[in-house]
Amino acid sequence: MTELRFDRLDTDGALVDAVAALHDQSRADFLRTAVVGSGALVALFARPTSAEARTRDVAILNFALVLEYLQAAFYTEVERIGNLNGPLERQSRIVGAHERAHVRAFRDALGRRAVARPRFDFGGATESPERFRRTAVGFEDLAVAAYKAQAPRIRSRAYLASALAIHAVEARHAAWIRRLAGVSPVLEAFDEPAGRTEVLRAVRATNFIATTRSRRSPRYTG
Amino acid sequence: MSATSTTVNARRSRASFLRGATLGGGLAAAGVVLASRPERAGSAPSAERDAEILTFVLQVERLQAAFYGEAFDNGRIVGEPRELARVVGDHERAHVRFIERRLGRAPRPPRFDFGRATTDPAAFFEAGRRIEDIGVRAYNAQAPNLTDAALRVAARIVSVEARHAAWIRDLAGVDPAPDAAEPALSTEQVQAELRDTGFIR
Repeated sequence: MTELRFDRLDTDGALVDAVAALHDQSRADFLRTAVVGSGALVALFARPTSAEARTRDVAILNFALVLEYLQAAFYTEVERIGNLNGPLERQSRIVGAHERAHVRAFRDALGRRAVARPRFDFGGATESPERFRRTAVGFEDLAVAAYKAQAPRIRSRAYLASALAIHAVEARHAAWIRRLAGVSPVLEAFDEPAGRTEVLRAVRATNFIATTRSRRSPRYTG
Repeated sequence: MSATSTTVNARRSRASFLRGATLGGGLAAAGVVLASRPERAGSAPSAERDAEILTFVLQVERLQAAFYGEAFDNGRIVGEPRELARVVGDHERAHVRFIERRLGRAPRPPRFDFGRATTDPAAFFEAGRRIEDIGVRAYNAQAPNLTDAALRVAARIVSVEARHAAWIRDLAGVDPAPDAAEPALSTEQVQAELRDTGFIR
């Protein structure tokens, strides 16, 4: 039950568009460090200079912002459609407010460097309680794993403290929705991180990011 | 005796602990505000600081492990709360073993007295909620002071503590995620809250 299990398994390039700049940025960072260092091994383990650290932190914050945009939009749409009741409705309302607060925090911190909000199409995932539960479990577990991988890479102490404060809240969300979905709120004694590539693959597989500059039409098979 | 020595040990770098805690506290007070300071702490993380911090969180992990172990063994906590005591207890014992191995030399554990908290369901919920919230917030306040390697491990533990906290809070009928950003607790606050439980002899 830990892995994402979404109904639609199509991909599009919108998220890649949204984060392509980040990839380029970190690759540039890496190259610059490698040139400055006396050898590849030294360069890999050297602490980045301030400017480089800041650039990398901005990339990490923008990556987190994309995940928060996705979650916030999801819960907001769920609330607007209004098909949930009882504990599930309460969960979606409280968690949605948290995710929107996270979006605001990242946008405020990033200012003009913040990536734009992608357009989303959640299909039917925001409409039925059953699909909401399944999707929310996937989102929350993914967010926990993503923050866990990114937080230790952050150089700014303040951003690190903030990322950890959000990471723990995402873990609370995950346990909460898992219990409401009838699965164990916690699996192992040590949670696993998920790197950027793995997270992007999972997000793209949902097909929730609507193509903004459409070069391809969505592929529906069957 | 060992609880005292742990306190003394943790106090050595109180200034740095507090620095981390203040940041987290400010975050929580303002909703979520990501402050921008370019670098990590002036005093660099080190193996010695890692050991101090791990010794500090070990006392919380030991308290949790003993608590759930006793609740499970007593057999008076039944149903899903008993399942929670089993699963969470397993995790806390794994955390204790991991930290003790990592430290090599850890202070001797204190003795605990949980009173009714391991037999009475309402007292069990209240105690579990408190010690899980303390655990999450103790780790979060200290994590920015860790070396990168120790931070990677602590991050794998703290989210598990947060899951435990949400689980027992939901069972107890209180909001599993009360804040948009997890508040951090200074070492003094953690020590005060631990003392306040009355569980440590």
